[in-house]
Amino acid sequence: MYNEVYKNSKVRKFYNQIYDWAKSLPENVIVKKKNEAENLFKKIGITFSVYNNFDSTERLIPFDMFPRIISSIEWKKIKKGVIQRALAINAFLNDIYNSGEIIKAKLIPENLIYKNPAYEIKMIGFKVPKRIYSPIIGSDIVRINENIFKVLEDNCRTPSGVSYMIENREIMMRMFPELFEKLKIETVENYPSYLLDALKSLAPKKCNKEPKVVILTPGSLNSAYYEHSFLADLMGVELVQGTDLFVDESITYMKTTRGPEKVDIIYRRIDDKFLDPITFDSSSLIGIPGLFDSYKSGNVNICSAPGSGIADDKAIYSYIPEIIKFYLGEEPILDNVKTWRCCEEDAKKYVLNNLNKLVVKEVHGSGGYGLLIGSKSSKKEIEIFRKKILLNPANYIAQPILELSSVPIFDKKKLSPRHVDLRPFCLVGAKKTKLVDGGLTRVALNQGSLVVNSSQGGGVKDTWILNE
Amino acid sequence: MLSRTAENLFWSARYIERADSLARLLEVGYRISLIPNTEKGYTNEWESILETSGIKNEYLKKYKTISKEKIIFYLLFDPENSSSVKNCIKTARENIRMVRTAVTLEVWNAVNSSYHELDKNLKETKNILKELPEIIEWIKKQVNLIRGTILNTQLINDGYDFLILGTYFERADFTARIINVKYFILLPSINYVGSDIDNFQWSLMLRSISSFRAFKWAYGGQEITYTKIIDFLILNMTCPRSLIFSIEKINHHLGRLSKFYKQTSTSNKKIGLMYKKIKNLNANKITEIGLHEFLKSFIEEINYVYKKFEQKYFFGVET
Repeated sequence: MYNEVYKNSKVRKFYNQIYDWAKSLPENVIVKKKNEAENLFKKIGITFSVYNNFDSTERLIPFDMFPRIISSIEWKKIKKGVIQRALAINAFLNDIYNSGEIIKAKLIPENLIYKNPAYEIKMIGFKVPKRIYSPIIGSDIVRINENIFKVLEDNCRTPSGVSYMIENREIMMRMFPELFEKLKIETVENYPSYLLDALKSLAPKKCNKEPKVVILTPGSLNSAYYEHSFLADLMGVELVQGTDLFVDESITYMKTTRGPEKVDIIYRRIDDKFLDPITFDSSSLIGIPGLFDSYKSGNVNICSAPGSGIADDKAIYSYIPEIIKFYLGEEPILDNVKTWRCCEEDAKKYVLNNLNKLVVKEVHGSGGYGLLIGSKSSKKEIEIFRKKILLNPANYIAQPILELSSVPIFDKKKLSPRHVDLRPFCLVGAKKTKLVDGGLTRVALNQGSLVVNSSQGGGVKDTWILNE
Repeated sequence: MLSRTAENLFWSARYIERADSLARLLEVGYRISLIPNTEKGYTNEWESILETSGIKNEYLKKYKTISKEKIIFYLLFDPENSSSVKNCIKTARENIRMVRTAVTLEVWNAVNSSYHELDKNLKETKNILKELPEIIEWIKKQVNLIRGTILNTQLINDGYDFLILGTYFERADFTARIINVKYFILLPSINYVGSDIDNFQWSLMLRSISSFRAFKWAYGGQEITYTKIIDFLILNMTCPRSLIFSIEKINHHLGRLSKFYKQTSTSNKKIGLMYKKIKNLNANKITEIGLHEFLKSFIEEINYVYKKFEQKYFFGVET
């Protein structure tokens, strides 16, 4: 297991001060500070409702005080790699909904695109404003050893967690201001204004004044509602629900105390199928009838564009290196994790013979649900997955079980290593693509666990990019 | 601002005011239970507390008999009672949570921590009757804290008006109801005047709107008479719980909204008329009209104002 704090069993130089600090904290101070952090989080209302947990709809996402540090050299590479992927993904989306060059070039099988449930037929041929389908991409990055970072997946629809990135920093600065004097740490507080800039640059065709941006949320019962309201607050835009909007003569308005007001850009945090009951799922109560028509007639932009989700499909993921080469003519800066596509006969055979050594994932699953970690599963669980794969091979991919890198946490008063990953948030505007120097570090709090999802017992850490 | 935001702000303030009113009602109940009284007299008082809060039927459906412990629990914590203090604060918080961005962090913190602490209080309560005074104190303190943060930290814009309107629509309604439930004790009757029962009943009524001492100050320690009480609860501009006070506030804030949006609504006209009317009344005239009749039409009129206000700002269509 690679522990990010050490190099040749010595503490790495940029962790020195933090490590000494953490070691020097008396037990009672650790306990006190932990409570203090919890109270701060509770006060600002960071609560997270977890599906499958009906008794308590709100629970705190565990926060660990030991920061995760990334050097500026390491970060430069990650940043470049993430921007490269984000540009390639948008070029790919633009292509497959228009001329489909990558398919003609036979780099990706036709079926994988056109028969993919995430491929939105209604988007074919539509010119998305500025050709940007997915303006916010959260790529999950894992570290294998001192030099290698790999991308585990890209989230192109509505990646969440950015509010934790910002709040974790706020809490750390409030609790340990002295640390920020010792180390030069890049700020993350510009994220909301970067996001607003990126969204505003994507105004629809028929918008000729300062564009009006809103965030569309499913409502306060949604697990990420806190984040929606947090972003709206910091961006200074309205947080709307479906019932606040209506479409009249293809123009989208929101209901205000002054009367109807035109809306130009919707940063939606609801799934495609709920957007518009006329076009998509007719049972949707949180959507806006006529919205898709308003979108297609150039009166409003929906970010991310309907149908963007195909780019973070796990089967498409395995083609990202080819996608980068095809559209950008560059070598990928960040590697993918080796992936076997069960739809291919050889790969399937290999996967079925090595189930105990692999992670098997559903192609369309997310949030750590519907996956098998071979080494941690019983024979019975493995056999269930074997049957599932045989029944529908195209629905599964497999990857080696990665030894994610680890960083210490304060575990019952002392330091103890836990596995982590990293999610930076890349913003793609009409002219600029950028990200703040930071990201969300998720940590698997159970010893030995490799699942960092907050819905599965994961926690978060503040992530420090050093300014050296 | 979004219509829904305005609606959420309005209702959060309204529910907070309601929690406050309930706490005051319970305070009266607690007082009576300490005063030796006939069994019947005290049962009646608890019944009228249920009546004033408008939940007597729901209560009886669940518990069948009048018992002070059960009533206290029902009014404070019962999750099945949609207007228990707990549910009022919960609903207020839900409303604020939905429009987190329309209030300051201080206001959200005050509401949010009230909710979490109330939950803790509920779990730690062992003897509800014994601990009632502390619980009531706590509720009043929280309400004052929330209101204080609203006054001190919110921008004085349209959102502020919706918050304040929630408070005063609720207060006008509550004061009118409490007088209405008790109106018979304010009827002029030769048998009653000056009797001990009168004094006791009247003082309870004043206490239930937290105005017992204020009354004494306002009338220079004079003898309590029904005309003075009517004057105080309905017509006295210095009493923050009188009907005229709430009407003046509603009139003022509806007027501000109208100016702010440069639009007018039927509610503006109607509340203006109400205010004019109540300003020109005196206690004797009210007695002439009949207190009950007066209150009945007052409640109807204020409901009409609310309906028009709701249509204009929350639904966007005035019919």
